[in-house]
Amino acid sequence: MKKSDGKRTEKLIEELGLKLESQIERGENPFIEIPIRGSANVSFDENLQRIVLGDKKAKRFLFNVSHARRFMQTLLVASYVKKDLLANDLTATIRDLYYAKKHTIPGTKEDTIDEQSESNLAIVDLEVALNTFREMLHLRAEPKGRMAGKVVIEDRVRDKVDLIDLSRMGSGGWAIPSIVEQIEFKKVSVDFVLVAEKNAIFDRLNEDKYWEKNNCILITTAGQAARGARRLLQRLSEELKLPIYCLTDSDPYGWYIYSTMKYGSMALAHESERLGCPKMKFLGMSASDIEHYNLQKATIKAKEVDIKRALEIKGYSWFKHKRWQEEIDKFLEKKYKAELQALSSKNLQYISNTYIPEKIKNEDFLP
Amino acid sequence: MSDFIDEEELSKQFREYSVAEFFKRNRQMLGYTGKIRSLTTIVHEAVTNSLDSAEDARILPDISVEIKELPDGHFKVVIEDNGTGVPKKDVGKAFGKLLAGTKFHVLRQKRGQQGLGISYAVLFAQLTTGKPTHVKTGMNHRVYECDITIDVKSNQPVLSEEREYSENFRGVRIEMEVAEVDYNRSEYGVYEYLRRTAIANPHAQITLTEPSGEIVVFPRASTVLPKVAEKVLPHPLGLTTADLIEMAHSSSARKISSFFQNEFSRFSAEKVRELSELNKSIDFNKTPKSLTWSEAEAIVKSIQQLKWVAPETSVLIPIGEGQLVKALKSILKPEELKVVERKPKVYRGGIPFMVEAGIAYGGESGSVVGGVRKFEVLRYANSTPLLFDAGSCAISQAVKEIDWGRYDLGKIEELPVTVFVNFVSVYVPFTGTSKLAVSPEEEIVSEIKLALMECARSIGVYIHTLQHAREEEERRSVFIKYIGEVAVCLNDLIGVDVEKTRRKLEVIAKERTALADESGGVEEDLVESDEEYEEE
Repeated sequence: MKKSDGKRTEKLIEELGLKLESQIERGENPFIEIPIRGSANVSFDENLQRIVLGDKKAKRFLFNVSHARRFMQTLLVASYVKKDLLANDLTATIRDLYYAKKHTIPGTKEDTIDEQSESNLAIVDLEVALNTFREMLHLRAEPKGRMAGKVVIEDRVRDKVDLIDLSRMGSGGWAIPSIVEQIEFKKVSVDFVLVAEKNAIFDRLNEDKYWEKNNCILITTAGQAARGARRLLQRLSEELKLPIYCLTDSDPYGWYIYSTMKYGSMALAHESERLGCPKMKFLGMSASDIEHYNLQKATIKAKEVDIKRALEIKGYSWFKHKRWQEEIDKFLEKKYKAELQALSSKNLQYISNTYIPEKIKNEDFLP
Repeated sequence: MSDFIDEEELSKQFREYSVAEFFKRNRQMLGYTGKIRSLTTIVHEAVTNSLDSAEDARILPDISVEIKELPDGHFKVVIEDNGTGVPKKDVGKAFGKLLAGTKFHVLRQKRGQQGLGISYAVLFAQLTTGKPTHVKTGMNHRVYECDITIDVKSNQPVLSEEREYSENFRGVRIEMEVAEVDYNRSEYGVYEYLRRTAIANPHAQITLTEPSGEIVVFPRASTVLPKVAEKVLPHPLGLTTADLIEMAHSSSARKISSFFQNEFSRFSAEKVRELSELNKSIDFNKTPKSLTWSEAEAIVKSIQQLKWVAPETSVLIPIGEGQLVKALKSILKPEELKVVERKPKVYRGGIPFMVEAGIAYGGESGSVVGGVRKFEVLRYANSTPLLFDAGSCAISQAVKEIDWGRYDLGKIEELPVTVFVNFVSVYVPFTGTSKLAVSPEEEIVSEIKLALMECARSIGVYIHTLQHAREEEERRSVFIKYIGEVAVCLNDLIGVDVEKTRRKLEVIAKERTALADESGGVEEDLVESDEEYEEE
C-alpha cells in the first residue's frame, strides 16, 4: 500500500469528523450518511457486468434509539483506523480491531462491542460512508486461499521486499495474503488461471503437477473467496489478460461462489469494481457434466434448502443468461447435486488428466 | 365468620331469652367475633352515632378515638365527639337498652347498618370485663355523667355515679374497658376503618390515638356539610327481620296492621290485606310489641313476594363527586385521581340505587404490603365502609370482571391503586346478616363496572403518559451512555475537546429525546442474507 493512500484515507476520516463537529456546533442531531446496502439499493449492471450499489443513502443518527449504538461503533472503527493504524503505518485484522475497541462503557454494564459481527458491520459502514474500501483502512480479513504456478511475484512487508517463485511452493502452495495491492507480477509464463473452490481439488491438481503440465496458475479459494483472492483474480484477469476458469461443486452454493468472484456480491456491492472478474468462465461442474460424464451414481439428493436457494438464485438478474437458467432448471428437475470429487469415481486422476483438459479443449464453459 | 345461622334455633332462643341473653349467645352475628373485628365494631357503633348526631345538628364533626392497652391485657376505648349530646333522660335508653330503637327507625337512608347499636358495645364491655361504661354528655353548658350497665335479665339500663354540673362541653364522650379484643393496622382493624370512614366523610375530622401512642389525624377535607336525607318512611323491601322486630317493639301503634300502614311508605291497606293472606297464622290485630322473631321472619319473606311501588329516588344521598375528590385527595394524596358519579338506576325491577366510584393512583394510594403499596378496594354501602366478607360482594365481583389490561392497568394487583366504590340505596341488598357485602345482583354489578371502567380509562391515560415519559428517559439514558465514547472518538479523529463536546452532545440529547424517533428507516436492510457466504 502506498503512503499516499494512507494520507487520502486519513483525510477522508478527518472530513467525517469535521462534518460531525459542525453538526454538533449547530446543535443538530449528528449523523453519518451511509449508502444503503441491501436488495433495495443493489442492482446488476448489464454493461459493466457487475453488481453495483445504487445511490440511496440513509442517515445514521446518534440520537435515535435504533442507530445510537452502531453510530458509536462506526466512530470507534474510524478512531482505531486513524489513530492506531494509519498514524503508525500498521495493518490489523478485523479481529484485532474488535479486541482493541471492545471495552465496558464507563458507568454502565454495557460493552462498546459485544460480538465481532458488530464491529465487522461497522467496518463496512465506514468503508461505504467514506466511499473507500477495507484495504485503504489498513484492515485485513484472515488470509484465505492458496496459489501455485509458473509465476514469480514480488511482495512487501513494510520495507522488506521478497521475490517469490510460485512454482517452488511445495505441496501447500503460496498463501494469498488478504491485501494484495502491493504485489507485483515479475515473471509470468502461463496461459490461463484455474481457480477451484475447494482445497481438496487444489491439492489433487497440485499433486498431479497439473499447473506444470498445462502451463497455468492454480488457485484455491477454500470456500467463498476472500477479498485478497478476489482482488488477485481480478488483477490476473485485467493486468495480465489471462483467461480464468472456475471449478466448483455442482450445486447452488458452488454457483453462488462463482458469481461472487465474477460479478461481486450484494453485501460488498460497493467493492465489485475492484473485486469483480467479469471475464471469468465456469468450467464445471455443471448439471450436464453429470450426464455427459455418467456421474449419476455419484450424485447426492438435493435437500429442501438447496432447492430453495436454487430458486432464489434463478431470480437474480446476473443469473438471467439462458444457459444458467437451463442449468438451474436441470438441477430443479433432477433434484440432485454432485461434488467435484464425484469424478474420482472414475479414477483419482480423472479430473486432472481427462475432465479439465477436455472441457478446456472443447471450450465447454458456462458464461 | 360464617354467615350460616340456624334460623329455627335463633327464633327459639329469641322467644326464650331476654334480648341481652340473646346477644350473649349470638354475638358473632352482631359483629363481635374475632379480637380485631370486635374492637372495630365498638368504634364503628360510636363513630356512626357521632356522625349522625353532627349531621342532624348541621355541625362539622370532630371525632377522636383513643385506644389504650392496659397492663392486664384489657383495652380502654375512649370516643368523643362535638355533636348535640344526648338529653339526660334518654341516656339510659340510648346506651343501656337493647333494641331500644335509638335511631327511632331512622326514617331515611341510614349511615350505620352493621351491628345493632352502641348498647351492644356497652353490653360487650360488661360481659368481657364486668366494668360499666362511663358516659359524659353535654349541651347548653350543662354536663351529665354516669356509669352504665345493662340488667341482662330484664334488658333495662342501670345508671350509677351520676353527676351533673356546668361546663362548656358539647357532645358525647364514651369510655369503656373491654377484653377479648386486639388492635392492629390490618385491613380489618380500627385504623383502616377510620381511614375509610374519613374518605366517605370529607366533612369530618377524625383523630386516632393508637395504643403505641401514635396520633393519626384524618383531616377534614371539606367544610361542606352533606345533604340531609329527606325524611321518608322506610320502604318495605328494605326490611330485615331484626329491623322489623326493633321497629315493631318500639312502635306506639295498637295493631300490627296499622303499624305497617303508618310507619312504612307504599304500605296501603290493600298491601296489608295481601300480606295477611300470605300469613294466615299471624294475627294482624294484635299489638306490634308482641311480634315474635319467627313471625317477623315470615312477614319479611312474604314482603319480598309482593309487588311494590318503588321507593323515591330523591332519598338517595351520595357523598358527591366534588366532596369525594376532596376526601380522596386529602387521605390518599394521589398522583392521579378520577371520580365518577353515576345516575340513579333500579334493581329488582324498581329499587333505586346509584354508584359512585373513584380510582386513585400513586401517592398514598393502595395498601402497604411488605413495604410496597399495592392495589386495594374500598367498599362502601351508603358511605359506611364494608370491611369484611369481600368475597361475596358485588363490588369485588365487578372489580374481578373488569379487563384492566384494556386500560394499561394489566397488573393492577401490583400497582399503587385504590379503588373506591360507594353503593347508595335506601335498601342495600346485603348478602347476610353481617351486612358487610352487597349482593351481586346483575344490575348492580354492571353499574359498578361501568363506573369503574370510566375511572380506569382516565387513569389508564395517565399511566400511559407516565410510561411514555419513562421510556423517553430510558431512551435519553441510552444516548447519554454513548455520548462519552463518541466525544473521545471525535477527539481521536480531529482533536476536539472531549469535555466540551460531551456537554454539547448532552444538551442536544435532552432537546432531541422527545423526537428521538424522528428519522427512522435506516436500519431496514443494510445487510442482505448473503453476508454469511461472505467469508471474513
